[in-house]
Amino acid sequence: MATRRGFLAGLAASSFAPVAGWAKVGAPEFLSAARSSDDSYHLFGLTGQGAPVFQIPLPARGHAAAANPLRAEAVAFARRPGRFAIVLSCETGVILAELDAPEGRHFYGHGAFSSDGALLFTTENDYDAARGIVGVWEARTYQRLGEFSSGGIGPHDIRLMPDGGTLVVANGGIETHPDSGRAKLNLPFMQPNLTYLSVEGDVLEQAELAPEMHMNSIRHLDVRTDGLVGFATQWQGSTADSPSVIGLHRRGEAPQLLSAARAQARAMDGYGGSVAFYDEGTRIAVSSPRGGLVQLGDVAAGAVVGQLDMPDVCGLGVSGGALRASTGTGAFWAATATPRVLTQQPVAWDNHLVRVSCG
Amino acid sequence: MFRTLALSLAFALPVPVLADQTGKILNDHVLSGFDELAVSSAALSNAAQESCVASSEPLRAAYATAFDAWTGVSHLRFGPTETDNRGFALAFWPDSRGSTPKTLSGLIADQDPVVDDPEAFQSVSIAGRGFYALEYLLFDDRLSALGDADYRCALVQAIARDIAGTSRAINQDWQTHYAELMQSPHKGGVYQTQAEVLQEFYKALDTGLQINADLRLGRPLGTFDKPRPKRAEAWRSGRSLRHVQVSLEHLRTLAALLAAGDAELAQSLDIKFEAALTKAAALDDPDFSGVATPAGRFRVETLQQTINDIRTEVTQLLGPTLGVSVGFNSLDGD
Repeated sequence: MATRRGFLAGLAASSFAPVAGWAKVGAPEFLSAARSSDDSYHLFGLTGQGAPVFQIPLPARGHAAAANPLRAEAVAFARRPGRFAIVLSCETGVILAELDAPEGRHFYGHGAFSSDGALLFTTENDYDAARGIVGVWEARTYQRLGEFSSGGIGPHDIRLMPDGGTLVVANGGIETHPDSGRAKLNLPFMQPNLTYLSVEGDVLEQAELAPEMHMNSIRHLDVRTDGLVGFATQWQGSTADSPSVIGLHRRGEAPQLLSAARAQARAMDGYGGSVAFYDEGTRIAVSSPRGGLVQLGDVAAGAVVGQLDMPDVCGLGVSGGALRASTGTGAFWAATATPRVLTQQPVAWDNHLVRVSCG
Repeated sequence: MFRTLALSLAFALPVPVLADQTGKILNDHVLSGFDELAVSSAALSNAAQESCVASSEPLRAAYATAFDAWTGVSHLRFGPTETDNRGFALAFWPDSRGSTPKTLSGLIADQDPVVDDPEAFQSVSIAGRGFYALEYLLFDDRLSALGDADYRCALVQAIARDIAGTSRAINQDWQTHYAELMQSPHKGGVYQTQAEVLQEFYKALDTGLQINADLRLGRPLGTFDKPRPKRAEAWRSGRSLRHVQVSLEHLRTLAALLAAGDAELAQSLDIKFEAALTKAAALDDPDFSGVATPAGRFRVETLQQTINDIRTEVTQLLGPTLGVSVGFNSLDGD
């Protein structure tokens, strides 16, 4: 892992490095962290067909990443409760900068860039105060500029809305503290929400599920081009009561869980891993690694309409409007009605496929 | 008390002794455990009516017995325990925001008449109910002497009665229908297959181990630079280590029943539980205050590691035998 000195050297290097667009690194459509067969960890760039175009070593297990919209730079986050994130040049594989969570904070594993690529927003835990934080970083030098409240406990995924000026955060509601590993400290009182914030940190809107769903932790997000937010949840209540783990929210309205037959909801094992709109936003998919399947929803109908069996699936993404899925067994799927494996790599694809938006 | 005892026996007897795995888990682990909880909680409530002063030995003894019974079933957080938040109403911990002393101080300061009405008392915040709230009133220096003695007495009695009521309700649900429901999984039911039933117990085992390692031991351990002995569970009553021991004993039974189909695995798990219990017995640190010293900390960390070793074996080896997938992502959870 890079040292403090490496961090400064990287900083100096990045100031003079020529700007490289994503085309120079093979125009990947996705980033994904993975574990290789020798138990080392890497960040991969993947084409829409699942072909690796680069791979860069990571110091430990990753979670998600954020792709700079303009430069071929990615921020790879450690798995929760990691204290580090590293900024990688996807062209050279060099670590350009290292983000250390401030004292008393850890990252949750997700981040989002501003539309001009100048700022990076990271979800963080102020764990002694049990307060969700959005950290703000300057995205060339990766100096920390400041922070603001995420509007809840346990912020996880964060996305920039299509207006370019609004952030949406999934506050999962679950209090954790690194002293207690990943154990959940506040289940009876947890109160997940979706919070919309200006990039300056003003809360613009907050949305909660119905009170009886207060244990349905909102964790992962996708945003349709018209601003409709799709979310995946993780149910903390009794397995026997497992509700739907897919939801939709449009600002100004109440969030809705997709309706699902009891058996369908149970099949997800109360666990939505990733979420993605596809088919021009008319459909939404949520993966469940525990259930070993991807569930498909009709957005207009607000209902689950089908599912695909895929062992250890978690990452979801879209290429050319079509759904893609990655699995812990190394498969990269075209998740169509009759799914087929596009590529099979000797790696375990980690939780998420992160879209690279080419500037 | 006699009425409750008779009632729970009446419910306990008709459950047929089934030879299948689910039946054995229910009879040897679940139903016996919840029956004990109901009986000992009723005895606790009676003891509180007899003598409500914090120093009362019979009251403290009844409290210890009932809290032991709860600890033995506290990992079974589904079905009747989850109905109406009953599990949390019996046991709200960890209390990272200090809600329990706050709620109790508020009730005492206001002399809130809610203590006179058992039904109304169920609307009190879960932070002011259950075993941990009662621990404050019996063992905390400040709260056991706060405000008016008569009101405190009524509050102790109300909490004890509420514990008895909640425990009785959980036990009745188990005895009258939930055990039956788990024994007869069917399409469209709460459990559709026997595999789903066993997976529910598996999850209880795994979560129970995690709570021992990450919460019961992890919270007081804190970090090397900042150990947090006052975050130990039930340290005021000196029960912190005891809870780990009681819980491990019951989890050992459950693990053995779940691993019944694989003698080698069952034996390996049992050896690991034995190792953890031996370490716990040798710890000689009932409230984990020893975590403040490097040597004491090391011993608690060693116990924590031993429990994590059990957990690894449970997820890697026991899980797959019960149809729980052990994939890179399915095991991760985030």
